[in-house]
Amino acid sequence: MRSLLADPRLTIAKRDLASLSREKTIVLALLIQLFVAAFSSFLVVGLTSLYSPGSVSAGEVVVGVAGEHDDALVRAANDQEGVRAIVYPNPDAARDAYHDGSVHATLLATDSGDRIDVAVIAPQESIETTLIVDQVRTLLESVERTERIARADHLDNSPVPLPEDVDASPYFGFTYTVLVPLLLFLPPFISGSVAVDALTEEIERGTLELLRVAPLSLVDIVDGKALAMILIAPAQAALWIGLLGFNGIAVSNVPQILLVVTALTTLVVTLGLSLGVLTAKRRQAQLLYSVLVIFGFGLLTFVPEHPATTVAKLAVDSPTATTTLHVAAYAVAAVVLFVGARRLVARTDPEGL
Amino acid sequence: MSGQPPVGGDSGTESDASRSRRLARWLRTRVENVARIARWEVTKNAGGVDRRTAAIALLAVLGLGAMAPVAVSQGVALDQGIYRVGVVQEDPLYDPVYLDPTFRVQDPSSAAVEAGYQEVMVVGPQVREYADSTKGRAAVSELRSTVKRYNDGIMDTEDNQSAAFPVVVNLTYVDRESSRVTAAQTQTIPIQTDENDEAGDGDGSAGEGDGGDGSGGDSADGAADETDGSAGGDSGDGGDGGDGSGGVTRPGEGSNVAGSSIGARLTGGSSTGAPSDITPPFPFRSLVLAFVFVLPLNFVIQAYGSTILSERINRRGELLLVAPVSRGDIIVGKTLPYFAAAIGVAAAITVALQAGLGLAGSVVSVLAIVPLALLFLAATFLGAMFARSFKELTFVTVTITVTLTSYAFVPAIFTDVTPIALISPLTLVVRDLQGQAIGLGQFVFSTLPPTLTALVCFGLGAGLYREEDMFTQRPIPYKVLDALAGPIKRRRSVALVTAVLLPFVLVAELVVVAFAYPLWQAEIPVGVIVVALLVGIAVVEELAKSLHVYAGYAHALFDDRLRTALVVGAFSGLGFFLAEKLTLIVRLADLQTLPVGQAAMGEQALVATGVPLPLLVGALLLAPLALHVVTASISALGARRGPRSYAVALAVAVVVHVAYNLTVVSTLVR
Repeated sequence: MRSLLADPRLTIAKRDLASLSREKTIVLALLIQLFVAAFSSFLVVGLTSLYSPGSVSAGEVVVGVAGEHDDALVRAANDQEGVRAIVYPNPDAARDAYHDGSVHATLLATDSGDRIDVAVIAPQESIETTLIVDQVRTLLESVERTERIARADHLDNSPVPLPEDVDASPYFGFTYTVLVPLLLFLPPFISGSVAVDALTEEIERGTLELLRVAPLSLVDIVDGKALAMILIAPAQAALWIGLLGFNGIAVSNVPQILLVVTALTTLVVTLGLSLGVLTAKRRQAQLLYSVLVIFGFGLLTFVPEHPATTVAKLAVDSPTATTTLHVAAYAVAAVVLFVGARRLVARTDPEGL
Repeated sequence: MSGQPPVGGDSGTESDASRSRRLARWLRTRVENVARIARWEVTKNAGGVDRRTAAIALLAVLGLGAMAPVAVSQGVALDQGIYRVGVVQEDPLYDPVYLDPTFRVQDPSSAAVEAGYQEVMVVGPQVREYADSTKGRAAVSELRSTVKRYNDGIMDTEDNQSAAFPVVVNLTYVDRESSRVTAAQTQTIPIQTDENDEAGDGDGSAGEGDGGDGSGGDSADGAADETDGSAGGDSGDGGDGGDGSGGVTRPGEGSNVAGSSIGARLTGGSSTGAPSDITPPFPFRSLVLAFVFVLPLNFVIQAYGSTILSERINRRGELLLVAPVSRGDIIVGKTLPYFAAAIGVAAAITVALQAGLGLAGSVVSVLAIVPLALLFLAATFLGAMFARSFKELTFVTVTITVTLTSYAFVPAIFTDVTPIALISPLTLVVRDLQGQAIGLGQFVFSTLPPTLTALVCFGLGAGLYREEDMFTQRPIPYKVLDALAGPIKRRRSVALVTAVLLPFVLVAELVVVAFAYPLWQAEIPVGVIVVALLVGIAVVEELAKSLHVYAGYAHALFDDRLRTALVVGAFSGLGFFLAEKLTLIVRLADLQTLPVGQAAMGEQALVATGVPLPLLVGALLLAPLALHVVTASISALGARRGPRSYAVALAVAVVVHVAYNLTVVSTLVR
């Protein structure tokens, strides 16, 4: 029974981690994280502006209104924040006002028999176009709703009443369903990739021979390397979660999330090390690793809950029994695969590497 | 670096014919050498991947391709079940909630809302209670857009379409001589559209869909591709396609972009449909597709980085170094296959998009990827020359991936919003995919800085492609100084190195400007932004003017007389000044339409202000020249004395620079 601290596997793990920190790569990794964290708010703003452009700017949009149905437009504009309507006596006056730059956009509402025709004139290719069009759309949707209610007698189904408009962050869903999973899956991927390097580089440089002069089996060496790489990822993920919290994005169920990250890391690190042992060549192992990890990630879309969704539900604190089951399944799969990989390594002849 | 072409004055007696013959011979040698090395690279190193590996990789990729449509048709809803809504089956809100996977239906319970197990509680036709948190509010907001979509869905099935869709919108984009809109609000943004209207002369045929205004125009296939009623506008996320049975438009992946869209990106074009069909001009789909162009580059650089580094492991590259080929031949030859692969993939993607989706992608897309591919490869080359092991290279590669992908992708998000987006070549791809015309000036502005930057990276890496740096573990800072000091032969060459570093300066400055844009959107006072910009730009410029001077001193290339420091500083300032005149290309992108751009371009913006000519010449030429010479001399004086005084001198130079620019800008932008 060896004492725990003198366990050669720990020594290997420490050796690998020490070489990482000596090469300053860990520092670089942390710098990347800081960069992305600083960038993430910017990214979120940029990307969610795709979804709801009105969320970006806070200026007031002034629309010029004219035509037979201008009263409906004005009523809707009065109920809407950030929009002011100016009524013009005739369409030409409204068009002139647009060209003079007194209004951002012009809405001409005419009657086409059984419908209201609204001609919208908006500026093109300007910074505010998106905001203006977004506001005009909201305004016209509300006119449409009012009209539908007025014509409810002609409809088979009445429209469902809308919930009230609350002041919500448009970035919320995107942050938790895309950004958080993306950030948390990055460390496992890097860990696996580094694990491939840690093994194949020793093989290619011939230093694995030196390690084997020590009383170590190949299984011990692989164990030690796996341990080092598996430990890094949850630590990085924890740092991420801290950074996100600093950015005002609170993440719930941190222990479960770290468990998922650790399990996924174990899976990919095991895959990477197995490939390293099987191919003994860095390039092949790396290529196969990248392709197979992406393939595996694709395969997981067929399980009831994609890992990204699992992480999102945990982070946003809406976990279900399904989520818990998935977390457990990942943990079990990680352990099973790891044990299987050790058997594979034990059967490998180290002289052949 | 590599063998110089034998042109110019070694002997004036040579006839033109023999000179051109020699040039031809020189060129032929270059081509032969490069071709030979490239062939080795392909056969030997691609041979490093055996058949079994290639077969497994191919199978996995094919498997991914096969999975994609299945996964898409199942609809991977990432936001599945993140909000919990308490609603009973009798309520009118039940159906929309039940049909949208974003929500999970629960029994309504006030206690659950209190305890945080339920975000929204519905009673009868209305939301009775919701959790007072960001999550609760986001849930209500999401529910609101879901109900809107649901309503449009059931209205589609109505017989009386004029009652179902009582409002018809015709949206026209009209250019105007615009000025400020007098709004009683904080800040209005002056919009100055340029008269010559070069941006985006689309042909107006993209996505003139019928906007799905009723009559079940949606093909009921449920697959999330653009086969709905509208003929592929540019911003539908493709999440709809009524599923035929309930006629409910299903939301796509977590977005609330209306599924069917009107091609709202048409210059002077117009479009018609129901209000909810109006989409603000967002190149959503083109953006996603542009991302597909960048993705393969990340795989190419993995292979490339490892082939460069493997030359350095176990002194493997020594044979090539002693072979009768130049350093440049080796580098070009080893890079060529990977560059060809990257461009080949880009071309294949373009063709696939044209054939598969009928997009307007053209040769411009492929050409726009060229500088990006070069930049990815050059950064990886430099990284591989610096990395000390494969483990380190992995981290370096990830850094390059993250940084350059952000550089390419983030500005492209603002394609239709601001001309600053053109700092990324990917913006050209997005525009091209939308079928917008791209002016030559825009193309040059967008592609020149990254191309030059890539060439400089290759140059710096080549400076390290020698035995002392390749096969030893020299510390990184020394290697940086080696790379910078490599080209310095005499005091004059300082000017050349400064000029060559300008692409870095341009890219870095444009990134600084791009960072200012969101700040500006966030309504931070323009004054604050301008000062922040000027500080950022000054730091970048002063570093570029002095770092290699410091390297020269560290390598003892200069004596430590005061006069030498001043001469070197003057050369550095002069080199920078001459190179900076290149920034006049910025005018091509019409950056002056933005106050921020004006501030960033400092003295260049004078051109557009109508200052009297003599003054203009003075301001444009003499003042900046003096500034650069003075600041570069300050930091050179510091560099003469060692690292610590160099840092101090650099700070002083930055302060001087900012002070000067503030004076210029405050006289310009009123």
